[in-house]
Amino acid sequence: MPAADAAHTARAADHLDGFLRSLGDSGVRVPVPKRADFLQALALFPPTGIDGLYWTARVTLLTRIEDLEPFDTAFDSWFRNEPRARMEVSLPAPDEPGEALVPGAGRGGELPPESLGEGSGLDASGIEVVSRKTFPAAGAEARDLLREIRAALPRALPTSEARRLRRSRRGPRLDLPQVCREANRTAGEVVRLSWRDRPRRPRPVLLLVDVSGSMKQHSTDLLRFAHAVVAAAPRVEVFTFGTQLTRVTEQLLDPDVDRALDSIADIVLDADAGTRIGTALDELLGNARRRSLVRGALVVVLSDGLERGDCEAMIRGAHRLGLLGHRLVWWSPLACNPGYRPVTHGMHGVLSSLDALAGVRDLDSALAAVRLLPATAAGPRRGAARAWTAAA
Amino acid sequence: MSPGPGTADDLGRRLRGERYYADAGLLTAIRLALALGRPLFLEGEPGVGKTEVGNVLARVLGRELVRLQCYEGLDAAQALYEWNYPKQLLALRAAEARGTDIGDVYDELFLLERPLLRAVRSSAAVLLLVDEIDRADSEFEAFLLEFLGDFQITIPELGTLRAAQPPVVVITSNRTREVHDALKRRCLYHWIPLPEPERERAIIRARAPGVEEASAVALVDAVNAIRSLPLLKRPGIAESIDWAQGAAVLAAGGEPWPVALRRALGLLVKDEEDLARVESHAQEVFSAGG
Repeated sequence: MPAADAAHTARAADHLDGFLRSLGDSGVRVPVPKRADFLQALALFPPTGIDGLYWTARVTLLTRIEDLEPFDTAFDSWFRNEPRARMEVSLPAPDEPGEALVPGAGRGGELPPESLGEGSGLDASGIEVVSRKTFPAAGAEARDLLREIRAALPRALPTSEARRLRRSRRGPRLDLPQVCREANRTAGEVVRLSWRDRPRRPRPVLLLVDVSGSMKQHSTDLLRFAHAVVAAAPRVEVFTFGTQLTRVTEQLLDPDVDRALDSIADIVLDADAGTRIGTALDELLGNARRRSLVRGALVVVLSDGLERGDCEAMIRGAHRLGLLGHRLVWWSPLACNPGYRPVTHGMHGVLSSLDALAGVRDLDSALAAVRLLPATAAGPRRGAARAWTAAA
Repeated sequence: MSPGPGTADDLGRRLRGERYYADAGLLTAIRLALALGRPLFLEGEPGVGKTEVGNVLARVLGRELVRLQCYEGLDAAQALYEWNYPKQLLALRAAEARGTDIGDVYDELFLLERPLLRAVRSSAAVLLLVDEIDRADSEFEAFLLEFLGDFQITIPELGTLRAAQPPVVVITSNRTREVHDALKRRCLYHWIPLPEPERERAIIRARAPGVEEASAVALVDAVNAIRSLPLLKRPGIAESIDWAQGAAVLAAGGEPWPVALRRALGLLVKDEEDLARVESHAQEVFSAGG
């Protein structure tokens, strides 16, 4: 090989190495096997142009579409003199990776609690007051009530049949493989029949807790209640909303209720401020992965339903919640008052989508409402309107 | 190295021959997957033709397509193999009745072949399509990881079976959840974007032959206008092909093309709220259609 060529190759190798290192610096993690793939691919099909090099690099080095932008930036700065027109790639939605549905699965990872909707809520000044909320410590009485709620929940939550069959003493289905396996052992003689059934498991639960100013005096108890639900049921997701939607499931996984609420105060910045239920629901439903948390779940909205401004978004959002979820239950502190009627424009519109509308303002009333859940789950869909018309 | 198409142009031509229009990125991904012997991991919005890559590639390579459709609760018995217990039992009874030797009931005769075992046992090389892996449980990914490492399956009663020729593997995901990094690390990753208008027109021409050139242009413009609306579900290529075919049927029945397009809109947009939104923007959406 002539000396000039060798020098050329060495420079190219340096350049590639620099590119790979700058990828790491810009946050695109490229494991060693992927680098090896990249170099091997270059050796197999030497790219004829920059575009060829781009695609070879992208296919071999990238593992997530979210990394595309930093990747393109790094590639452009190393191989292109000017940034080219970017191909538009639309993501379904940015979201936390992994299985948001299973609270336990996220425990190991250190995902920062994510608050959606920056930009949508921040620009409307006057309503949003960002402040750190403090929650009082739970007293002995509250802790007793929470224990009672945790004990009542497993029986109160609606269930669905699990997909996988489980061996059972007497099930509707004959476990033919097992029968045959045992028969093989006894020279083809069937001595005993084995059965399987589909066990019932609790449906996922989605709690949407209103922490806006109008709910100020109730939000501590409601978040404590959410803590009890997270502890008592296997698949629970909790979001708070005021002017923005915030996922607080991770925080509520802390076994101590006071510590959990304290860490919520760190991330829920819109507490005791304005209410935009419609926007919050749009944020929840506009994102495919968050929407999948609603599907088949028991959805409980803990809110007074006092929406600022136009209620259409809230009504539409509640309607979609009702369509996606297993049951949609609305617990409002206002409904504790015997004289309450859902006549505000917002609640009146939402009512037709609800399966139940009950009064919950503290742990006592929450416990009572939990005990009513089985009746709601057994009843017909969208029964709230009927119940409240009959009451009137 | 698999006997694959040589150059990118050649591969592109052969895919077009099967009526699949791939862009430069996908062609690179396929060539590298074949050359490096890596699985090809495809992500993208629903209906951009991820599964179709598997189907078409099998035809282009002249390989048998073995498809494993993933779903929640998919387990080894449905992905690998299962013993045919009733058949074993019958064989035992028959042997007993005849008074002959029972023989080995754990023979390949009594093995029910599921997709992964089929991919391993097939004498000719196959193309294994693992479709919608995001639907399967994450435990299944770990299992698949092991399988993709060495393409072998161990059956305790029979021993280890190894693929005579490693299969070409295409994995697709709709991205309803993030697939584990360990799996993606072993694959070549490609995100299939929605096609640019020119390529979509080519696709429409190939898949809906009855549509005239001007009509196809109007249709693709309308589809792109609809995709730019804030919809719950943006239509993919599959939907626009359906739309073109549906509208072509109506147009053949005597309806003028713009009317046929609007009548067949339900083939493109499949959500009531989205339909309402498209209708409210009908002016801009169908302006190109005239």
